[in-house]
Amino acid sequence: MILHADAKEFVRPCRNVQNELHRDDAVAYPRDARTAYLIHPDDLIAVHKEAETQHRPMKAFYHSHPNHEAYFSEKDKADAMAWGEPIYPDVAYLVISIFGETCEPKIAMEKHSTELRVVKAYAWDETTTDFIEVPIQIANKQI
Amino acid sequence: MAVTVRIPTPLRRLTQNLAEVETEGANIESIIENLEANYPGMKERLCDDGGNIRRFVNIYLNDEDIRFLDGKATPVTDGAEISIIPAIAGGKN
Repeated sequence: MILHADAKEFVRPCRNVQNELHRDDAVAYPRDARTAYLIHPDDLIAVHKEAETQHRPMKAFYHSHPNHEAYFSEKDKADAMAWGEPIYPDVAYLVISIFGETCEPKIAMEKHSTELRVVKAYAWDETTTDFIEVPIQIANKQI
Repeated sequence: MAVTVRIPTPLRRLTQNLAEVETEGANIESIIENLEANYPGMKERLCDDGGNIRRFVNIYLNDEDIRFLDGKATPVTDGAEISIIPAIAGGKN
Protein backbone atom coordinates (compact mmCIF):
# COMPACT_ATOMS: atom_id res chain seq x y z
CA MET A 1 0.00 0.00 0.00
CA ILE A 2 1.10 3.58 -0.52
CA LEU A 3 0.38 6.34 1.99
CA HIS A 4 1.15 9.98 1.48
CA ALA A 5 1.65 13.20 3.41
CA ASP A 6 3.38 16.50 2.71
CA ALA A 7 4.28 15.48 -0.86
CA LYS A 8 6.02 12.35 0.42
CA GLU A 9 4.95 8.82 -0.26
CA PHE A 10 5.29 5.89 2.10
CA VAL A 11 5.30 2.42 0.57
CA ARG A 12 4.13 -0.35 2.87
CA PRO A 13 4.52 -3.85 1.44
CA CYS A 14 1.83 -6.19 2.74
CA ARG A 15 1.70 -9.96 2.92
CA ASN A 16 -0.57 -11.95 0.64
CA VAL A 17 -2.25 -14.73 2.64
CA GLN A 18 -3.87 -16.39 -0.36
CA ASN A 19 -1.49 -19.39 -0.41
CA GLU A 20 -2.16 -20.14 3.26
CA LEU A 21 -5.92 -19.86 2.80
CA HIS A 22 -5.81 -22.09 -0.27
CA ARG A 23 -3.66 -24.67 1.52
CA ASP A 24 -6.00 -24.76 4.54
CA ASP A 25 -9.32 -24.74 2.65
CA ALA A 26 -9.11 -25.20 -1.10
CA VAL A 27 -12.90 -25.36 -1.41
CA ALA A 28 -13.51 -21.96 0.15
CA TYR A 29 -10.35 -20.53 -1.43
CA PRO A 30 -9.82 -22.29 -4.77
CA ARG A 31 -7.16 -19.82 -5.94
CA ASP A 32 -3.60 -19.56 -4.72
CA ALA A 33 -1.34 -16.53 -4.85
CA ARG A 34 -0.59 -17.02 -8.54
CA THR A 35 -4.05 -15.71 -9.40
CA ALA A 36 -5.39 -13.97 -6.31
CA TYR A 37 -4.41 -11.91 -3.33
CA LEU A 38 -5.81 -11.10 0.07
CA ILE A 39 -3.89 -8.71 2.27
CA HIS A 40 -2.94 -10.09 5.67
CA PRO A 41 -5.40 -8.70 8.25
CA ASP A 42 -2.54 -7.64 10.53
CA ASP A 43 -0.94 -5.62 7.75
CA LEU A 44 -4.31 -4.09 6.89
CA ILE A 45 -4.94 -2.78 10.40
CA ALA A 46 -1.32 -1.63 10.72
CA VAL A 47 -1.60 0.52 7.60
CA HIS A 48 -4.96 1.89 8.72
CA LYS A 49 -3.43 2.82 12.06
CA GLU A 50 -0.47 4.51 10.43
CA ALA A 51 -2.77 6.41 8.09
CA GLU A 52 -4.82 7.62 11.01
CA THR A 53 -2.21 8.31 13.67
CA GLN A 54 0.48 9.71 11.36
CA HIS A 55 -1.99 11.63 9.19
CA ARG A 56 -0.88 9.78 6.08
CA PRO A 57 -3.96 9.07 4.01
CA MET A 58 -3.96 6.02 1.77
CA LYS A 59 -3.14 6.91 -1.81
CA ALA A 60 -2.90 3.61 -3.66
CA PHE A 61 -2.95 -0.15 -3.32
CA TYR A 62 -0.71 -2.11 -5.63
CA HIS A 63 -0.65 -5.72 -6.71
CA SER A 64 1.01 -7.64 -9.50
CA HIS A 65 -0.36 -9.89 -12.21
CA PRO A 66 2.41 -12.46 -12.58
CA ASN A 67 2.79 -13.51 -16.19
CA HIS A 68 -0.34 -11.61 -17.22
CA GLU A 69 -1.12 -8.21 -18.60
CA ALA A 70 -2.05 -5.29 -16.33
CA TYR A 71 -5.79 -4.81 -16.19
CA PHE A 72 -8.42 -4.30 -13.52
CA SER A 73 -10.16 -7.64 -13.54
CA GLU A 74 -13.76 -8.33 -12.70
CA LYS A 75 -12.50 -9.95 -9.51
CA ASP A 76 -10.45 -6.86 -8.71
CA LYS A 77 -13.57 -4.77 -9.19
CA ALA A 78 -15.80 -7.09 -7.20
CA ASP A 79 -13.34 -7.21 -4.32
CA ALA A 80 -12.96 -3.43 -4.36
CA MET A 81 -16.68 -3.10 -3.67
CA ALA A 82 -18.63 -3.90 -0.53
CA TRP A 83 -22.34 -3.57 -0.01
CA GLY A 84 -22.71 -2.08 -3.47
CA GLU A 85 -20.23 0.73 -2.93
CA PRO A 86 -16.50 1.19 -3.43
CA ILE A 87 -14.66 0.39 -0.22
CA TYR A 88 -12.02 3.04 -0.84
CA PRO A 89 -13.46 5.56 -3.31
CA ASP A 90 -10.49 7.91 -2.94
CA VAL A 91 -7.70 5.37 -3.29
CA ALA A 92 -6.20 4.22 -6.61
CA TYR A 93 -5.44 0.62 -7.45
CA LEU A 94 -2.14 0.00 -9.24
CA VAL A 95 -1.82 -3.19 -11.26
CA ILE A 96 1.68 -4.26 -12.24
CA SER A 97 2.31 -6.69 -15.06
CA ILE A 98 5.43 -8.78 -14.53
CA PHE A 99 6.64 -11.66 -16.63
CA GLY A 100 9.35 -14.15 -15.80
CA GLU A 101 10.50 -17.45 -14.47
CA THR A 102 9.54 -16.46 -10.96
CA CYS A 103 7.58 -13.58 -9.56
CA GLU A 104 8.79 -14.05 -6.00
CA PRO A 105 10.46 -10.64 -5.63
CA LYS A 106 13.67 -11.67 -3.84
CA ILE A 107 14.47 -14.53 -6.21
CA ALA A 108 13.49 -12.48 -9.24
CA MET A 109 15.90 -9.72 -8.23
CA GLU A 110 18.73 -12.18 -7.67
CA LYS A 111 18.20 -13.97 -10.95
CA HIS A 112 17.37 -10.87 -12.96
CA SER A 113 14.80 -13.03 -14.63
CA THR A 114 11.67 -10.99 -14.19
CA GLU A 115 10.56 -8.17 -16.43
CA LEU A 116 8.24 -5.44 -15.24
CA ARG A 117 6.22 -4.66 -18.34
CA VAL A 118 3.62 -2.09 -17.42
CA VAL A 119 1.89 -0.40 -14.52
CA LYS A 120 -1.67 0.81 -14.82
CA ALA A 121 -3.82 2.68 -12.31
CA TYR A 122 -7.54 2.49 -11.73
CA ALA A 123 -9.83 4.57 -9.56
CA TRP A 124 -13.49 4.90 -8.79
CA ASP A 125 -15.39 7.23 -11.09
CA GLU A 126 -18.61 8.68 -9.69
CA THR A 127 -19.95 9.60 -13.13
CA THR A 128 -19.83 6.11 -14.56
CA THR A 129 -20.08 4.43 -11.14
CA ASP A 130 -17.27 2.15 -12.19
CA PHE A 131 -13.52 1.84 -11.88
CA ILE A 132 -11.72 3.48 -14.77
CA GLU A 133 -8.09 3.68 -15.82
CA VAL A 134 -6.46 6.91 -14.66
CA PRO A 135 -3.08 8.42 -15.56
CA ILE A 136 -0.06 7.92 -13.33
CA GLN A 137 2.18 10.87 -12.64
CA ILE A 138 5.72 10.38 -11.38
CA ALA A 139 7.80 13.44 -10.50
CA ASN A 140 6.18 15.67 -13.10
CA LYS A 141 6.27 12.99 -15.76
CA GLN A 142 3.11 11.42 -17.03
CA ILE A 143 3.17 7.80 -18.12
CA MET B 1 -19.80 -0.74 28.90
CA ALA B 2 -19.09 1.88 26.21
CA VAL B 3 -16.88 1.11 23.25
CA THR B 4 -15.90 3.01 20.12
CA VAL B 5 -16.55 1.44 16.75
CA ARG B 6 -14.79 2.70 13.62
CA ILE B 7 -17.06 2.50 10.60
CA PRO B 8 -15.72 1.93 7.06
CA THR B 9 -16.68 4.41 4.34
CA PRO B 10 -19.32 2.26 2.60
CA LEU B 11 -21.25 1.77 5.86
CA ARG B 12 -21.31 5.41 6.89
CA ARG B 13 -24.58 6.05 5.13
CA LEU B 14 -26.07 3.92 7.92
CA THR B 15 -24.42 6.04 10.60
CA GLN B 16 -25.32 9.48 9.22
CA ASN B 17 -21.78 9.68 7.84
CA LEU B 18 -20.15 9.18 11.22
CA ALA B 19 -16.72 7.55 11.00
CA GLU B 20 -16.90 6.51 14.67
CA VAL B 21 -19.85 5.60 16.82
CA GLU B 22 -20.22 4.71 20.47
CA THR B 23 -22.12 1.65 21.52
CA GLU B 24 -22.23 -0.94 24.26
CA GLY B 25 -21.91 -4.68 24.64
CA ALA B 26 -20.10 -7.37 26.55
CA ASN B 27 -18.83 -9.16 23.47
CA ILE B 28 -18.59 -8.67 19.71
CA GLU B 29 -21.94 -10.35 19.10
CA SER B 30 -23.78 -7.98 21.41
CA ILE B 31 -21.91 -5.05 19.92
CA ILE B 32 -23.23 -6.05 16.48
CA GLU B 33 -26.75 -6.39 17.87
CA ASN B 34 -26.55 -2.94 19.43
CA LEU B 35 -25.17 -1.46 16.22
CA GLU B 36 -28.13 -2.99 14.41
CA ALA B 37 -30.55 -1.47 16.95
CA ASN B 38 -29.07 1.99 16.42
CA TYR B 39 -28.21 1.71 12.74
CA PRO B 40 -30.62 -0.71 11.05
CA GLY B 41 -29.07 -2.70 8.23
CA MET B 42 -25.69 -2.97 9.91
CA LYS B 43 -26.03 -6.60 10.94
CA GLU B 44 -26.92 -7.96 7.51
CA ARG B 45 -23.93 -6.19 6.08
CA LEU B 46 -21.56 -7.62 8.66
CA CYS B 47 -23.03 -11.11 9.00
CA ASP B 48 -24.31 -13.72 6.58
CA ASP B 49 -27.67 -15.51 6.83
CA GLY B 50 -26.16 -17.97 9.30
CA GLY B 51 -25.10 -15.14 11.58
CA ASN B 52 -21.42 -15.62 10.83
CA ILE B 53 -19.26 -12.60 10.14
CA ARG B 54 -18.83 -12.29 6.39
CA ARG B 55 -15.53 -13.51 5.03
CA PHE B 56 -14.53 -10.16 3.57
CA VAL B 57 -15.27 -8.29 6.81
CA ASN B 58 -12.41 -7.89 9.27
CA ILE B 59 -13.33 -6.88 12.79
CA TYR B 60 -10.53 -5.87 15.12
CA LEU B 61 -10.66 -5.45 18.86
CA ASN B 62 -7.89 -3.06 19.87
CA ASP B 63 -6.02 -3.97 16.65
CA GLU B 64 -6.42 -7.74 17.14
CA ASP B 65 -8.33 -9.63 14.47
CA ILE B 66 -11.21 -11.30 16.33
CA ARG B 67 -10.78 -14.42 14.16
CA PHE B 68 -7.65 -15.06 16.19
CA LEU B 69 -9.40 -14.29 19.47
CA ASP B 70 -12.79 -15.84 20.09
CA GLY B 71 -14.75 -14.64 17.09
CA LYS B 72 -18.14 -13.15 17.90
CA ALA B 73 -17.83 -14.43 21.48
CA THR B 74 -14.73 -12.31 22.06
CA PRO B 75 -15.31 -10.38 25.30
CA VAL B 76 -15.11 -6.60 25.10
CA THR B 77 -14.05 -4.36 27.94
CA ASP B 78 -15.08 -0.80 28.69
CA GLY B 79 -13.28 1.73 26.53
CA ALA B 80 -12.28 -0.78 23.85
CA GLU B 81 -11.79 0.26 20.25
CA ILE B 82 -13.36 -1.84 17.56
CA SER B 83 -12.51 -1.37 13.89
CA ILE B 84 -14.52 -2.75 10.99
CA ILE B 85 -12.33 -2.94 7.90
CA PRO B 86 -13.32 -4.70 4.68
CA ALA B 87 -10.62 -6.93 3.23
CA ILE B 88 -8.43 -5.76 0.38
CA ALA B 89 -8.29 -8.48 -2.22
CA GLY B 90 -8.39 -9.18 -5.91
CA GLY B 91 -6.99 -11.32 -8.63
CA LYS B 92 -7.11 -12.51 -12.19
CA ASN B 93 -10.41 -13.23 -13.91
